[in-house]
Amino acid sequence: MSQISNDLEFRRRLDRLDRTQQRTLAASFIDHVLSLSNDERVARAVKVAADVNASNDELNGALHSVTAAAMDSHARCDADCKWTDHAGYFVARATMAALSPEGQASGNPAWQAAMSSRMARTCISIDSTDDGGEEEQAEQYRILNNYLNS
Amino acid sequence: MTDVELLLWVRGPAFDIATVILCAGMVIRFMEIFMLGRKANLAEARGSEMAGGLGTVFRRTLVDTGTFKRTPFTVVAGWLFHIGLFVIIFLFVPHILVFEGATGLSWPGLPSNIVDAFAVITIVTLLAILIHRWRDPVLRLLSEFNDYLVWLVTFTPVLTGWLAFHRVGAAPAALIAVHILSVELLMVLFPFTKLSHAFTLWVARWYNGAIAGYKGVKS
Amino acid sequence: MNGPSFERGYNTLKEQIDAPVAAFFSSCVHCGMCAEACLFYTETGDPKYTPIHKLEPLRKVWKQEYTFWGKLGKALGISKALSDEDLSDWETLVYDSCTLCGRCSMVCPVGNDLAYMIRKLREGMAISGHAPPGLIGATKRAVTIGSPMGVKFPALQAQIRHAEAETGLTLPVDKAEADYMLLLSSMEVMNFPEFIGAVAKIFAQAELNWTISSEAFEATNSGIQIGVSDIAAELVQRIVDAAENLGVKNVISPECGHAYMAIRWEGPNLIGRPYNFKVIHILELLEQLHKEGRLKLKDKDVRRLTYHDPCQIGRRGGVLEQPRNLLNAVAANFVEMPDTAGMNWCCGAGGGVSANERADELRIRAFKRKKAQLDAVQPDALVSACANCRIQLEEGLEEYHTDIPVVSLTETIVEHLDGLGSKEGHPS
Repeated sequence: MSQISNDLEFRRRLDRLDRTQQRTLAASFIDHVLSLSNDERVARAVKVAADVNASNDELNGALHSVTAAAMDSHARCDADCKWTDHAGYFVARATMAALSPEGQASGNPAWQAAMSSRMARTCISIDSTDDGGEEEQAEQYRILNNYLNS
Repeated sequence: MTDVELLLWVRGPAFDIATVILCAGMVIRFMEIFMLGRKANLAEARGSEMAGGLGTVFRRTLVDTGTFKRTPFTVVAGWLFHIGLFVIIFLFVPHILVFEGATGLSWPGLPSNIVDAFAVITIVTLLAILIHRWRDPVLRLLSEFNDYLVWLVTFTPVLTGWLAFHRVGAAPAALIAVHILSVELLMVLFPFTKLSHAFTLWVARWYNGAIAGYKGVKS
Repeated sequence: MNGPSFERGYNTLKEQIDAPVAAFFSSCVHCGMCAEACLFYTETGDPKYTPIHKLEPLRKVWKQEYTFWGKLGKALGISKALSDEDLSDWETLVYDSCTLCGRCSMVCPVGNDLAYMIRKLREGMAISGHAPPGLIGATKRAVTIGSPMGVKFPALQAQIRHAEAETGLTLPVDKAEADYMLLLSSMEVMNFPEFIGAVAKIFAQAELNWTISSEAFEATNSGIQIGVSDIAAELVQRIVDAAENLGVKNVISPECGHAYMAIRWEGPNLIGRPYNFKVIHILELLEQLHKEGRLKLKDKDVRRLTYHDPCQIGRRGGVLEQPRNLLNAVAANFVEMPDTAGMNWCCGAGGGVSANERADELRIRAFKRKKAQLDAVQPDALVSACANCRIQLEEGLEEYHTDIPVVSLTETIVEHLDGLGSKEGHPS
C-alpha cells in the first residue's frame, strides 16, 4: 500500500475504516498529544476509546466525562485566554470526536480527532515560529500508515 | 350642601375642571414623551418602520399561545374588565347622552340589563385582579401605592355607577353625584398615573414595532 | 479620562432617555407578563428577575427628570432620588440576569421594548463603575490588544495556516478591493476554529472574492455588552477603517450574535455615519449564495434536527428565515421547537452573562428553559449558530445529562457541499 503523504489521501483512507477502527485510530492520534492535557478525565477517556472491546456503557460514560472536561477547559467568552493553556481543550474535543456514537457524529470522527489533535499542538507553538501543526500532521500520517500496513 | 347642589356642582364646574385637567395633562404627557425625541437610525434599514410600527400596534393586542399558557389570569381578566369598561362607558344610554351633550355625537346603546351584566362581571373581575395583585409574588414586588390607587379610582366609578343604577344605599341624587365625582377623580388622575397607558400605549407599541420593523422583525 | 462616578452615571442615564423610553415607562401598567417571558424568572421563580423591575433605576431617573409630578416631587424634596447604592444593588439584575435577549420586548402588552432600555441602563451602570469585573477586563483587552480574549493576529494566522493545511485552499489576507471581508469572533477562533476552514471551503465553491483583514478581524464587541458606547464605537471604527482602506464592498459578520448586533445595527449609530459598505451575516450570505445557485449541496441529513435561534441574530437581528431555508436544504427532518423563531427562548449566556463568572450558577439554571424545549422536541441533534450559544448549549446539556449533540449550521452546510470544497478538501 502506498504511503500517505497528503490530507486528501489521509482522509480517504480514514473514510474507509469502520467505526471501531476509526475510534481506536483516533485514540492513537490523541495519544500523541495527550501530554498537552492535564485533565485525568481525558486520559481515562482516551484509554476507553483505544479499547477495541469497550462496551457501549463504557464508551458513553467516557464521552460524558470528556465532554465535561471540554466544557471545563473551553475559552470563556471575554476571558483573558492563554493559548498554551488552551491545548487541553482541543485534546478533549478530539476525544469527544473519537467517542461520539455511530450516527451521531457528522463527518468522519477519526478525521475530526486528527484535526483537533493538530490544533492542540498548534496552541503550544502559537507564539513561536515553528508550526507544530505540520509536525503533528506528519506523525498522524505515520500512525495511519503503520496501522494500514500491519 | 344638599344632594341636588352637589349634583349640579359635579355636573357643572367640577366636570369642566376635570376635563381641562385630563386634556391638559395628556397634552403635557405627550409633550414630555415627544420632546425627548429619538436619534435617527444610520444603519441600513432592512424593513419599514411605519409598517412595523402599525403592525405591532394591532398585533400586540393578541397574546401568543405560549405566553397565554403562562399568564392566563392576567390575559383573561385584562380582556374582561377592559371590554366591560368599554361597554359600560360607551354603550350605556345615559352615558351616550353625556357624550352627546359634550360633543354632539351619538350612537346606539345596548339594553340596560345587558350593560348591568357587564358591570357585574367587571366588578367581580376587578376584585379578582386586586386579590391577584396582592398575592402574586411578581405583582407584589412591582406594585406601589399608585397601583392600588389606580385600582381604587377605576373600581369606584363602576361600583358607584352600579349602585346608582340600582338606587341602592342612598338617595338617587346623592348616588349619582358620588358616581360622577368618582369619575372626575379618575379623570384628574388619568394623565399622571399609569392610566395614561390608554393613550400612550399606541405610541409605545408603535416604537416597539418600528425598532423591530427596521431590522425586518415583526414584534 | 475621568474615572467612574455616580454623577457621570446619572447624567448618562438622563441622556439615554429618549421618546421611546418615555412612552414605555408611561405605558407600563405593572401587569407582570414580562416576568413570564424571561428565562431567568421562569427557571428560578424569583420575582426580582422580572424585566421591568430590572429597569427600576432608569425609571426613577425618567420620572424625576422628565415627568411633571416627578420633577415637582424632586424640587420639593419629597421623592427619593436615585442613589449610587441603588445602582450597586441593581448590578446583578442588569448584568447577571439579562442577556438582552428581548423576549420580554415581544410579550409586553403595552409594547415596551425592555431590552432596548436595559441596553441604555447599562451605559449608566458602566460609567458609574457598576459593571462586572470580567467585562471590564475584556473591554480593556479589546481596546489595547484588539480582542477581548487576547487573540492577536499571529494566533489567527496559525489558525489560518491550519485551515489551509486542512482544506488545501489558500485563505486570502488583506486582499484589496475584495467583495467580502470576513470578521471572526474570538470565541470561534479559540473554541471552534474549524469554522474558518468551513467558510473557506464554502467560499471556494461559490467562487467568492473574499479576504480577512490583519488590521481588524475581531467581530466581538465587548463595549456593547458592558454598555460603554465610546468603546463600542472605537471597536467598530477599527473594522470600518480596515474595510474602507481595503475598499471591500461587504463585511461579513460571523455567527456570533452580539457581534452582528454591534456591526450591523448599532455600528453606524455609534460612529455617527453610515458605512461605505454593506454588512451581511454569514447565514444571510450562505442563504443568498444557495439561492443564486452558487452553493451546490447534496444529500440530506436524516436525523431529527431542531434549531436554536441565537437571540441577537434572530429576534433582535432579523435573520430568522435564512437559517431555516438553509437547514431545509440539508435536512430531511427539520422540526421547530415549541416557541420558535422570534419567540424562541434564549440559551441564557449572551449579553456578557457567560463572561461573568459570578453568574455561572444562574446561567446554568436558566438553561433549563432551553432544555424544556428540547425535551418537548426530542431531536437527534441541535443545530445553531453563535459560538457562545453553542458552548452554553453543550455545557447545559452536559450539566443536565442530556445526550444531544450540538452542531454548527455553517459546518452542517459544509458537510453537504457537493464537489469542490467538500470532504475531500482539495480543488478537483
